[in-house]
Parts: sequence; structure tokens; C-alpha cells
Amino acid sequence: MTAQPDIEKLDEQIQRLKQAALALSEMGDQFPAVKRNTARVLSSIKMMEINVSDVVRLTEPDITLPVQR
Amino acid sequence: MISEQGCWNPVLETLPREKLSALQLKKFKSIFGWAYENSRFHRSLYDKAGITPSDIREFKDIVHVPKVEKSMMRCIQCKDPFPYGDCLCLPLEEVSNFRQTSGTTGQPVYQADSWQDWDWWSECWAFILWAQGYRPSDRVFIPFGYNIFVAFWAGHYAAEKIGCEVVPGGVLDTQARILKIQELKPTAMMGTPTYMLGMAETAKNKLGIDPGKLGIRRITCAGEPGASVLSTKKRMEEAWNAKVFDHAGATEIGAWSYECLDQPGGMHVNDALFLVEIEDIETGAIIDEPGRRGKMVITALDRMAMPCVRFDSKDLIEWDANPCSCGRTFRLIKGGVLGRVDDITKVKGVLLSPIAIEEVVRGMDGLGNEYEVVVDKLGDTDTISLKVELLPGNENNIGRIEAQLKHQLRLKTNLGYSIEFHDLGKLPRYEVKARRFKDLRK
Repeated sequence: MTAQPDIEKLDEQIQRLKQAALALSEMGDQFPAVKRNTARVLSSIKMMEINVSDVVRLTEPDITLPVQR
Repeated sequence: MISEQGCWNPVLETLPREKLSALQLKKFKSIFGWAYENSRFHRSLYDKAGITPSDIREFKDIVHVPKVEKSMMRCIQCKDPFPYGDCLCLPLEEVSNFRQTSGTTGQPVYQADSWQDWDWWSECWAFILWAQGYRPSDRVFIPFGYNIFVAFWAGHYAAEKIGCEVVPGGVLDTQARILKIQELKPTAMMGTPTYMLGMAETAKNKLGIDPGKLGIRRITCAGEPGASVLSTKKRMEEAWNAKVFDHAGATEIGAWSYECLDQPGGMHVNDALFLVEIEDIETGAIIDEPGRRGKMVITALDRMAMPCVRFDSKDLIEWDANPCSCGRTFRLIKGGVLGRVDDITKVKGVLLSPIAIEEVVRGMDGLGNEYEVVVDKLGDTDTISLKVELLPGNENNIGRIEAQLKHQLRLKTNLGYSIEFHDLGKLPRYEVKARRFKDLRK
């Protein structure tokens, strides 16, 4: 097996991506192309949270809540 | 290079067991809380049982969460929010996909998925396909009707997600699909075992094409247990000259298990995305130790629109005692899905699982792939007969084949059968899932 990736660093980037996507979603309330494409981006981010962030945050009290749109 | 990685997720799939268990507990608490707060159906069930999310502190508390059965889902649907009823946890406008179950066991159950759930479906399948050797260089042919059943939809999207080229083979009939495979030379394919065998038979007998020369290198099977029945797997692998891998999933659950490249004689449970419990059929106690067969109760840890929390799947499984040589820490279920509780029936006082008959028939030289079992009653006595197809050129061997068949069936099922031989092609063919076991006593 190859060396394990640095999941803390990965999670940092994932969270930055999420904050940017959430901000974009709010800005897209009158812009369907932005709003709906951002929804898809947020789903992909959730998949990355399932793959990475949930393990990183194992000892934190709450699992990442469902994405609010 | 990502193609060199053996796992879709090299962190989760090799996570130490104690961390996996901690992850499962944390995620179970979260999805249980989600269902409790957002699903009127689940809330009613939990209120009747007097259980709340704060009651789940340790693993042993999970068993107190009431199970959900498919029959309950049938009762609550076709009501508002239409057509899903009380178990929908998101506004209807967030549902992006409708699917329904195949109806093999009764009235179809409707399944809602949000866009996030649909992405989750392809994520589950990405674990499967990557473990079975699919890589961005693969061209994947999907001979599936792209219909109202979830079937291989997520397999299609997962193959795209992985980076494969996907050729959708819907609408084309079987012969046209074979000709398309011959034309485009895909390296991988997905289908039910029944259809994979049927397609091979059509290629050979109707088109004069050897399916083993079409270039398919890997086949992912789902929908029926056949790919974990060694004799069925062997027939498919020999017909297609390809490796055949099993996967088990369900519309109401998700894509929860998969065979890996090492083919250890079982399937990995995706322990990071699902919590699988095995329940003793008689006592209801949870079985942790390997080697004891029981009924699967399963939770999908990330599915939101219609959560699957302690769903009684009626699938029979047992834990494997040994870890897999692939290095994954995801547990193995030995032999895959071994049957269904509701398929097991008593014949002449003996419990019979239809899969045992498939193992014998498909392991016998001289017989075709199709067969049919008919259970009936003569007066007070059960009768069981097996219809098989004799491959051409075996007419002089009927006596020997019949004797071997009866002997093997007696060993495997403890029952005596009357055997009927039919010419190749005379028994029913099934497009997708087969119904080969007919109980006329009901």
C-alpha cells in the first residue's frame, strides 16, 4: 500500500471549497444557472466529506449536517 | 497515478476496525436523529417504541431501534407528499429521482432520492467498480433498459465518475447489443447473471459469435446472487473469457457490498457507508461471530431523502472468519448473499434454499444454464421436480447425468427430486431477473 494521504490538509481544502460554494449558492438566488450548478457542487463536496472529513472529525461531537440550500 | 491505487478510498477502506466502528456509531446516531426529526413514519415507529436519539450512546443501544420492513413501506406510500408518503424527509421539490422496486416480492415500493442521494449512489458504486479493476481506460457497455428500477443506473454514473467511457446499451435488443459490443470492443460490462448467460447463449446460438472473443475483461453482476454461486460464476467466466464479480444492493438500501479483485469467496461490506447487523432468525439476537448464518439488518449511513435505518432486508448472510488478502478492513460476508429468508421453504419437512439447486445444476456438465423447480402436493405429500435442459450431444449420457444430479441434489438439499429433461431452449428465458422456483402449494 502507498503512503496514506494527509487527510487533515485535504479536509482543510474541502471546507474552503464548501464555504465558497455556500456563498455562491446564496449569491445565485436570482441566477438559476449558478444556483443549480452550485447545488451539484455542494453534493460533490458532501461526497468528499463522506470520504475524508467524516474520518478527520471522528472525535468531534457532531457529524457534518445535511447541506442547507 | 490514481490508476495504480487499489482502493477508491485508500483511507476508509483500510481504516482500523476500531475507527470504522467509531465512525459507524457516530454516523448511525446522526442518521437516526435525522430520521427521527424529519420522517413522520420513522418518528411514529420510534415514539411507539419509546426510543429517542439520546438513547443511542453505544453500539449495543442500536439493537433497540425498531426495524423497518418492506411491508411497512408499502402501507405508507401513495399519500402526501405524493407518492412517497410519511417517510420523505426533504421537501418534494428536492427529490430529483424516482425509482421503484422490481415487485418480485409484492407491490413495488417507491424510492425518492435527492440529487445528493443520487450522487451518493454513484459514490457507493465507485467503491465497487474501482475494487473490481475498472479504471479510466475502460470502455464500459451497459446492456440495461434504463427503466424505472434502480438496477445499473448508478453503475453507469459511477463508471463516468471513475473516468471510464460509458456506452449505454438500452433499447437495443440482445442481438443488437452483441453486435454493438463486437463493433466497439468495450472492456467491461454489467448485468444480472441470468442476462449475462442469456446474452452469451444468444451470441453463440443465434449469431455464431464466440462471446469469449469479444474482448470483455470484467463483468459486474447484480440483481441476483448468481455471481457468488461458484458454478454460475464459472459458467459466465468461461462463456465470456472474463472475470466476473458480484455486487449486492437494493433500491431501498443502496449499493452496500462488493467482491474485490482478490475474489476471496465473499463480498466486502462497505462498512464506512453502511452498518450491517446480522440477526439470528430464531432469537433476534445480533450475531457478531463468523460462521453463523442470519438475516441482514442494514442502515445506510448517509442517505437522506428516504432514510434506510435498520431495514430488515431478509437477505441471509454470515461473516467470514478471515480478513481479505486485498488489505481492506471492510468485513467480508462469506459466499455473498446466501439466499433470502422468504425464499426458504419447507418441502417434505426439510428446509430448502433454492440457491442450493442452482449450485448443483450449473455445476453439472451436459446441462444448459436454465432450469425450473416445481413444488406441488400429491394428496398429503409434497413433490418436487426439477426441469433441466440437456446440451446437444449428451443424449447417450442421460442416465448418468440423471443419477449424478439426483445424488448431488440429495447431498446438497437432503431431498429426492423427479427430473425432467428438455431440449436446449425449451425452458423459459428471462430478460433480467429469473423466477425459476414455482411453489404450486400456495
